[in-house]
Amino acid sequence: MEGKSYQRLPRVKIREMRDDYMKFELRDTDASVANALRRVMIAEVPTVAIDLVEIEINSSVLNDEFIAHRLGLIPLTSDRAMSMRFSRDCDACDGDGQCEFCSVEFHLRAKCHSDQTLDVTSKDLLSSDHTVVPVDFSDSAGMESSEQKGIIIVKLRRGQELRLRAIARKGIGKDHAKWSPAATVTFMYEPDIRINEELMDMLTLDEKKAWVESSPTKVFDFDPKTEKVMVVDPEAYTYDDEVIKKAEAMGKPGLVDIIAKEDSFIFTVESTGAVKASQLLLNAIEILKQKLDAVRLSEDTVEADDQFGELGAHMRGG
Amino acid sequence: MGVAQDSSADPPKKNKQNRSNDGKQILHSAIDKEFLAAPIKSATDKFALLPEFLKVRGLVKQHLDSFNYFVNTGIKKIVRANDRIVSGVDPSIYLRFKDISIGEPSLTMDGVTEKIAPHTCRLSDMTYSAPIKVDVEYIQGSHDQKTRVEKKGVVIGRMPIMLRSCSCTLYGKTESELAKLGECPLDPGGYFIIKGNEKVLLMQEQLSKNRIIIDMDKKGNLNASVTSSSERIKSKTIIQMENQKIYLMLNQFVKKIPIMVVMKAMGMESDQEVVQMVGRDPRYAALLMPSIEDCAKEGIHKQEQALAYLETKVKRFSFAGASSENDGRVMTVLQDVFLANVEVCQDNFRPKCIYVAVMLRRIMDAILNKDAMDDKDYVGNKRIELSGQLISLLFEDLFKTMIAEVKKAVDNILTKPSRSSRFDFAQCIIKDSITHGLERTLSTGNFNIKRFKMDSKGMTQVLARLSFIGCLGHMTRIKPQFEKTRKVSGPRALQPSQWGMLCPCDTPEGEPCGLIKNLALMTHVTTDEEESPLISLCYCLGVEGLEVLSGEELHTPYSFLVLFNGNILGKHRKPQHFAAAMRKLRRAGKIGEFVSVFVNEKQHCVYIASDGGRVCRPLVIADKGISRVKEHHMLELKAGVRTFDDFLSDGLIEYLDVNEENNSLIALYEEEATTETTHIEIEPLTLLGVIAGLIPYPHHNQSPRNTYQCAMGKQAMGNIAYNQLHRMDSLLYLLVYPQRPLLTTKTIELVGYDKLGAGQNATVAVMSYSGYDIEDAIVMNKASLDRGFGRCIHMKRYCAVNQKYDNNTQDRILRPNRDGFDSGPMRVLDDDGLAAPGEIIRRNDILINKQVPIVTRGQFKSALHDSEFKSVPQRYDGPQGESCVVDKVALCSDKHNNLCFKFLIRHTRRPEVGDKFSSRHGQKGVCGTIVQQEDFPFSERGICPDLIMNPHGFPSRMTVGKMIELLGGKAGVSCGRFHYGSAFGEPGGHADKVEAISETLVRMGFSYDGKDFIYSGITGCPLQAYIFMGPIYYQKLKHMVLDKMHARGSGPRVSLTRQPTEGKARNGGLRVGEMERDCLIAYGASMLLYERLMISSDPFEVQVCRVCGLLGYYNHKLKTGICSSCKNGDNISTMKLPYACKLLIQELQSMNIVPRLKLAEA
Repeated sequence: MEGKSYQRLPRVKIREMRDDYMKFELRDTDASVANALRRVMIAEVPTVAIDLVEIEINSSVLNDEFIAHRLGLIPLTSDRAMSMRFSRDCDACDGDGQCEFCSVEFHLRAKCHSDQTLDVTSKDLLSSDHTVVPVDFSDSAGMESSEQKGIIIVKLRRGQELRLRAIARKGIGKDHAKWSPAATVTFMYEPDIRINEELMDMLTLDEKKAWVESSPTKVFDFDPKTEKVMVVDPEAYTYDDEVIKKAEAMGKPGLVDIIAKEDSFIFTVESTGAVKASQLLLNAIEILKQKLDAVRLSEDTVEADDQFGELGAHMRGG
Repeated sequence: MGVAQDSSADPPKKNKQNRSNDGKQILHSAIDKEFLAAPIKSATDKFALLPEFLKVRGLVKQHLDSFNYFVNTGIKKIVRANDRIVSGVDPSIYLRFKDISIGEPSLTMDGVTEKIAPHTCRLSDMTYSAPIKVDVEYIQGSHDQKTRVEKKGVVIGRMPIMLRSCSCTLYGKTESELAKLGECPLDPGGYFIIKGNEKVLLMQEQLSKNRIIIDMDKKGNLNASVTSSSERIKSKTIIQMENQKIYLMLNQFVKKIPIMVVMKAMGMESDQEVVQMVGRDPRYAALLMPSIEDCAKEGIHKQEQALAYLETKVKRFSFAGASSENDGRVMTVLQDVFLANVEVCQDNFRPKCIYVAVMLRRIMDAILNKDAMDDKDYVGNKRIELSGQLISLLFEDLFKTMIAEVKKAVDNILTKPSRSSRFDFAQCIIKDSITHGLERTLSTGNFNIKRFKMDSKGMTQVLARLSFIGCLGHMTRIKPQFEKTRKVSGPRALQPSQWGMLCPCDTPEGEPCGLIKNLALMTHVTTDEEESPLISLCYCLGVEGLEVLSGEELHTPYSFLVLFNGNILGKHRKPQHFAAAMRKLRRAGKIGEFVSVFVNEKQHCVYIASDGGRVCRPLVIADKGISRVKEHHMLELKAGVRTFDDFLSDGLIEYLDVNEENNSLIALYEEEATTETTHIEIEPLTLLGVIAGLIPYPHHNQSPRNTYQCAMGKQAMGNIAYNQLHRMDSLLYLLVYPQRPLLTTKTIELVGYDKLGAGQNATVAVMSYSGYDIEDAIVMNKASLDRGFGRCIHMKRYCAVNQKYDNNTQDRILRPNRDGFDSGPMRVLDDDGLAAPGEIIRRNDILINKQVPIVTRGQFKSALHDSEFKSVPQRYDGPQGESCVVDKVALCSDKHNNLCFKFLIRHTRRPEVGDKFSSRHGQKGVCGTIVQQEDFPFSERGICPDLIMNPHGFPSRMTVGKMIELLGGKAGVSCGRFHYGSAFGEPGGHADKVEAISETLVRMGFSYDGKDFIYSGITGCPLQAYIFMGPIYYQKLKHMVLDKMHARGSGPRVSLTRQPTEGKARNGGLRVGEMERDCLIAYGASMLLYERLMISSDPFEVQVCRVCGLLGYYNHKLKTGICSSCKNGDNISTMKLPYACKLLIQELQSMNIVPRLKLAEA
């Protein structure tokens, strides 16, 4: 490889990890990579979700489409999703998407016999595959809330009945939000906050306190003992410029210097429960790789090689 | 009551200030100190009166009250006035109505009577009506064997019943009882159900009856007009001043009559007395002089001369012929038609003379001082005619017609020489005319009352059930008195006297702008009240009657005339004392709460009104600026010991009508009250109506925006009623996930909009995105749509009838053929031949597999053969390519006892590009594009907006309220408390202040200004600007692309012109209109023009004779064109014309115009 290499070696540092939540740092890369990762997590990581509903009996107050829509939005555990086939390119079935390789069948039967309203929830959905079941939040959540009943689908009163068969299929968030495994994926640039101590020392106690207060989030703190202003939580800073404006208003421009580090990001990932947050990240990286491979291996890229020259080599991972 | 937590810290402070202020007042005025030292209440607490008021009065109480009055009192009065049917043949044979009552709503089918619920009527196209029962006494038999018989509960017809009125089955029912009857507890009632349609009788705005109105006509002449209305007759009397002379104009006279002649004809022979009656002021006498001279010039001095003069001017009945008919007509005209509201007892014309004198005096006042003119647009000069009054008019007319018909029928029977059965009067009562008359009038809305020459159309409307709020708004609407076409600004302008009575925001745009009005939240419309006790009360309180007064005494200074409902009772020497006494009696509950007492200082008159149709509203009474409603009253109210009516009966609150408001000084807030203040507003937010009450912070918006929202709120989809899924409306729009607004108002809670919302709280980012957001378009997040944002259900009803025919044949419905050629479109059918509920239905699928007998007339037939039927399946004509679902199928029998099928077809729609959305601030926009979630901007917290709105929507619209809604909504979601934005609510604590909201925002870690630091979803880079982002309540409006989208290639044509049809329903073409044509001509695109206007429209080949220039025809046998006028085919040319042109030529020929075509080589 002649010329300059554009290669960087991003680092990931996991700060916090729970089943449905993860916070990590991504360093030594730029916004395009961070954003690509975010976009893939939202839109391209496959999960399994109910896609076809055959309603046998529905005497509930909600109509068929309503219930079907609600069923679709229930997150299903989709650890198997990566290895499953899309029903559109499944060769085991003739495209009707009802074979074991590309679909999971669910059954729901509920009838209310008492005078109390019966809540039909995601727990009433019976799966044909024990690996694909409605997400159960009761065990994953740290605190044992008294009775987690699952996601409510419809309420039935005496005599009402709901009986249906549902087919869950693999899909991606780009097609429909029900296949998106991510509840929240967001990142921020890590702020670099530097207080100009000289200027800060010129402030009175009250001024310091007022300045600390001017930030809507708890970024700075005033230590009454040392009488110094400290940065306690730089990441709480929302780039709102309030403290800078305050400093200017106090006649001390340059009191604090805040810049966003352009190569390090703090990611927050919350999962719907379909896949674990950590797995979501791994899957996303996997898919991102596949996509890059697809670009690299396509004939267009080889042709474009001459055009792009050095860049083409970079694209091929050189 | 969800009073703001944040602001709860403030009130105590405020209270203290109030108290200290009042302390000063005590020092200034030497009144009972203990009384004043009582705690002064802040306005916040008085709010509790508002829900209490609505609980007692309801939102449509004016309709209910007026109908109840009709049912309980009005109908009885009518019957009492016309209680006898006497035979013209034998006067001793009669029938007398002793009493009348309206029974319970019921249905009689095959002799069995059962109670009916309104919802049954809605579903099965019946009229919700109750029998009208009378107790009668009549003579049975004739000639010698006459017996007097009494009969009770004879049904004379059926009266449509207003829902929730006192005759309705729903009256006084609890929520669960209503639910059992299939009724929504939030439904206000106040409408009728006629043949399954919900019909509202709109309130009708009119000029006051029986009041003197002074105004200027187009020529600049002063007019004093009185529209008299008595039980018997309606007339309009105008006294006009023209060229210094005063004339009377009455439609019974052929020309204007000098007023002095009229006075003389009424026995007022002395000119001096007339002058005295008008007033002693020499200026009046001077103004009257020309009229007196005019009369003298005519040589009329005596009553007889005047009558003789009038006799020549009175209108003759052309058909009467004989002069005997017209003899003495002048006297009857003067007695009955001229100022019909002033009654003449025993030929005593004096009251009428005094009335005329007062009219003259008012005219002269107006000449001397232009301020004395009356304003026709002043709300106090207006009356609102309600459904009860209208129905009462109608019923009276029908009742009289029925009496006449019965009389005719009885006379017919009695004149017959021989009768087989014994004569029974009760048998002759005709039931149908009243039933049908009422039903027809209410269902068509054409009121045709011959007696009063009343013929108005469109009085009833089908209740708008598009949204809950639209339905409420329909019930508070007021129909204008004028035609919409009048291009005048006066009646359309906002009147200051409208304050608190009529909503200043809620009026449509365009043609009827300002004419159609809506009631404000607390407005009540009065019903008639018994007059005679009030009149005698007035005399008891020192009113000197007219009889004892000479003309001179009438207008002595410091004494005021007392007018009761427009009639002059007499005068009073101490008008203020009199008014105070009347008011005291009213506050004590001795006289009706809606009686108004108004002292007009300018006119030296005291007006007392108890007539129906006045608008009034409750206000808190204040003594020297100190509210009578105290803390302990409100506590009692909260504890449930005290009701709104107790406040009224204890004299803490009273109703004021527009006129009486002029005698009072009303403080908006208690803090602003001074010692002169007589009343305090209950709540400033009641100034707005129901619909304007939905707008948060309306007082921060530019005013037309609120008006726009009032129009759009009615089109918003949402929940309609609790029973919405059990209804079979012809068109229904529902939202799948309706929400209650995050930023509410007090009105929303009072009305129940929080229970039946019509919109969703969308997180809105105010920024530019992609260019698909120009001109108010909004960019929507696809993931939000996937998750159910803006998803709606569209339900449409299709009907089919199993018709019976004259020849005893009827339609039949066949079991579908499962494997025939039609099995495809028949797949939704059940075995009974009807579409099955739950089936997915597509365009052209068969809804009902019906067959009609080929022969439906002629002789009776039985047991038809299969071959005698033809198939006429009804097909579903929904949108192409969409899959709808059969929601419900209902069977009922219509009024001809035919079996009737109703299919409800449901279609769930997700928003698409072009669907219309709007916030609650008149900011409508269509969906411009739908963008993937990953492309949408996001904040560090992971918040991703549901939709993006372009900031250009703000500067010119100035909808600051929307910005505050966003801030308040954002604070609301982050702190977990609904914020309020009631109109003018900041001082009373019913609207959160921006300052408090900002504090909450900062506390929750947001910027105080509601702006967030946002990253681009496409690049991942931060955006250059902070973005104003937060939740705003968005409404989905009924205008959807799917219903409007239309295009066509070739298709149907109109048979007359052979041009393409027009309109989407007929699959019509899109017209290249005149202006488009002009563009093409200007551009010079002649071939395009030719193609559009001729080839693709209506090309036609004609044979033209070059000699005579007329059109010929083509003879297919000879294969030549032949000119029919030249009778040969020698000079025929073939050319192309638009068919419409050929049609024009022929039509002109049929009118004896000969267009000739002159052909030349091209």
